[in-house]
Amino acid sequence: MTHDTADGNHVTIALTINGLAVSAHAGMTVVEAAWHGGVPRVTGVGCMEGVCGSCRIMLKRGKQVSVGLACQTFVEDGAEIIFLPPAPAPRHHYELSEFKDGWDIHARFQDIFPEAARCRHCHGCNVSCPKGIAVEEGVKQASAGRFRDAGETFFECVMCELCDGACPEFIAPAHVGLFSRRVTAHFHLRPPNLIHRLEELRQDKTGTPQKDHDE
Amino acid sequence: MMSNGISLAEALARYRADSNLAPPPALTDKDSLLNTYHPDHLRDSVVKLTVGPNAGDSCQRELAALLQAETFIDEADLAGVPVTDVDVLVIGGGGAGCAAALTAAEKGARVLLATKLRLGDSNTVMAEGGIQAAIEPEDSIQRHIQDTLRGGHHIGNPELVAALAADGPNVLRWLIQLGMQFDQAPSGDLHTRKAGGMSTPRLVHCRDYTGLEMMRVLREAVTQHRGIEVWEQSPAVELLSNETGEKCVGAVLTSLLDNRLRIVRTRSVILATGGLGRLHLNGFPTSNHLGATGDGLVLAYRIGAKLCELDSFQYHPTGLLHPSHLAGKLVTEGLRAAGCLLVNALGQRFIDELQPRDVVCAAILRECHEGRGVRVNEQHVGVWLDTPRLERAQPGLLEAQFPNLMSRTRIAGVDPRVQPLLTHPTLHYQNGGVSINVDGASTVPGLYAVGEVSGGIHGRNRLMGNALLEIISFGRRAGVAATANRDRGPKKVTLEHVNRARRALTIANMPMTQRTPLVLPDYAAGGIWKR
Repeated sequence: MTHDTADGNHVTIALTINGLAVSAHAGMTVVEAAWHGGVPRVTGVGCMEGVCGSCRIMLKRGKQVSVGLACQTFVEDGAEIIFLPPAPAPRHHYELSEFKDGWDIHARFQDIFPEAARCRHCHGCNVSCPKGIAVEEGVKQASAGRFRDAGETFFECVMCELCDGACPEFIAPAHVGLFSRRVTAHFHLRPPNLIHRLEELRQDKTGTPQKDHDE
Repeated sequence: MMSNGISLAEALARYRADSNLAPPPALTDKDSLLNTYHPDHLRDSVVKLTVGPNAGDSCQRELAALLQAETFIDEADLAGVPVTDVDVLVIGGGGAGCAAALTAAEKGARVLLATKLRLGDSNTVMAEGGIQAAIEPEDSIQRHIQDTLRGGHHIGNPELVAALAADGPNVLRWLIQLGMQFDQAPSGDLHTRKAGGMSTPRLVHCRDYTGLEMMRVLREAVTQHRGIEVWEQSPAVELLSNETGEKCVGAVLTSLLDNRLRIVRTRSVILATGGLGRLHLNGFPTSNHLGATGDGLVLAYRIGAKLCELDSFQYHPTGLLHPSHLAGKLVTEGLRAAGCLLVNALGQRFIDELQPRDVVCAAILRECHEGRGVRVNEQHVGVWLDTPRLERAQPGLLEAQFPNLMSRTRIAGVDPRVQPLLTHPTLHYQNGGVSINVDGASTVPGLYAVGEVSGGIHGRNRLMGNALLEIISFGRRAGVAATANRDRGPKKVTLEHVNRARRALTIANMPMTQRTPLVLPDYAAGGIWKR
């Protein structure tokens, strides 16, 4: 749980971040190492716990190249790390409020995300996902109109959009996942307890204070 | 302040997930517990403000230094700076900013949303536990109001609290319409939990990713909306005022990418800049995201907005002590709401885990102070959050309901089903902030404040789930009000308020060495943002 040696000294790790040599301590994340090494212009950092998806990096170990999140990646000797620029603006446009009803979701999906049906099964999205999501399977589910399942597959998506960059067909899998989740809530989430309370409020029944149990 | 406690190895050896636990001792004197151990009451941590609209009021010492400081911008800096005109400027890209922007755009305003980091980088995205709304049959808006006021030690503004609670059910409806999912019971009802300070179950959630689910939906809705332009990496460094310095008519933004200034001229500015955990008040770790440096409070105070409860902060009881890269990061209160207990190094419960956060926080600090904490090293002492016992009582619960916790601990090689989590209070939330009315309007015309930067709702202690509700409820209220502000817009934008603040500092003989807002904490500012 600590990364100190027995005599209390830190184990030193040598790596490069954005081309600069950095000397870090074992157990540091790449974000901590970048600060520790004074690497300038690291602006893509947010939550530091793996949920905001901002700190996108490319990591090179020898000949092997991978992508990930800097706050979830620990320093390694000899690693070469580049902070990636933010993802480009979305190419797929839709507004849920313009959907008439749930019957034409599938048709709308194919209009909005025509590339999804052209998946080449290259697994680039799966490999690039820092959360271990079965991205390709999720895209397949959405293409088959199984939006609830697709949304569930993308449940842990943090919108880092690394899969979008990895896709040779420009499918934008992260946005396919979010579309799937959103239409599922928008058209199918109709909770009785909430609807009942909304109706009471509409009739202004609870506007009058009720007798409270302990006051 | 901390005495030794019991070493980690010894405490681990003593720990049993199946021991019989006696109930915690009765809480006889809550006030004395708070006054002795809560960090708000640390000696020398509070000063009186000397200048500005809150002169004479109590304020946390480190925050006071930022509020009473010099600005970055002079009139000369603004010559030749490009000007953008919009109807509504939203500063901040978290949940409150997105809700305000979407609502203003729904009402037909041309909206510019400027955010310091990436759209969605915020404390919202990290919120795990849930959002409060009185939707269960035995619950009522009135009970929600009472719980919120009681939790805030009756300092909260009842009018704001009533607005918040009444909005709850409609906020959920709005979020579902936008495409946000919530957990459901088998009946189809929204699943609710009872958390600290609630008299009845009221916490609606999306497993332990409620904030992420909310933020990714809001973010997508904002980027897809034709009426909203988004500028990322664009922190505000000063507001702009009219010729008399009495009205807010825009802001000066910089860019973290090229350090160039931009002027935005507008009828309404909505501050949604969030909190200040990254100031690490009183030396505490923080759960907050990188941008939480209190910028909104500084900007609002300099232009003359009244602030409130500047000496009251929430230290979340259960921040992680280790692994070190997650120090200060939260373990959700949802875990305690699900039945997880707090245990000291002697294997004893010491507080009812569902007391409000300030009380639980003070009780943990007391255990650490009185030698019943688990000691990692001289600086780091904590108490157990007994996750293995919860797993024994409800097998599979952690994996099914708390995937976020499991995923974060997995990469660090810790399994909370087997090993209890070592926790210590962490700076989490700014209870006070910019004083607002039910429209989110500050005391300065043209300036609105919503979300954590605003104050008055939570009194001196916020209940879990009221922050996610507040950002949507008041974000939407301010979005409507800011759009309804149909005056002609500014003829002239000036820094008159800055001159006024500078004169006040000079007259009071205050040091003018520090320039604020901070924008980024020192340790992360390397080469990005030149102060």
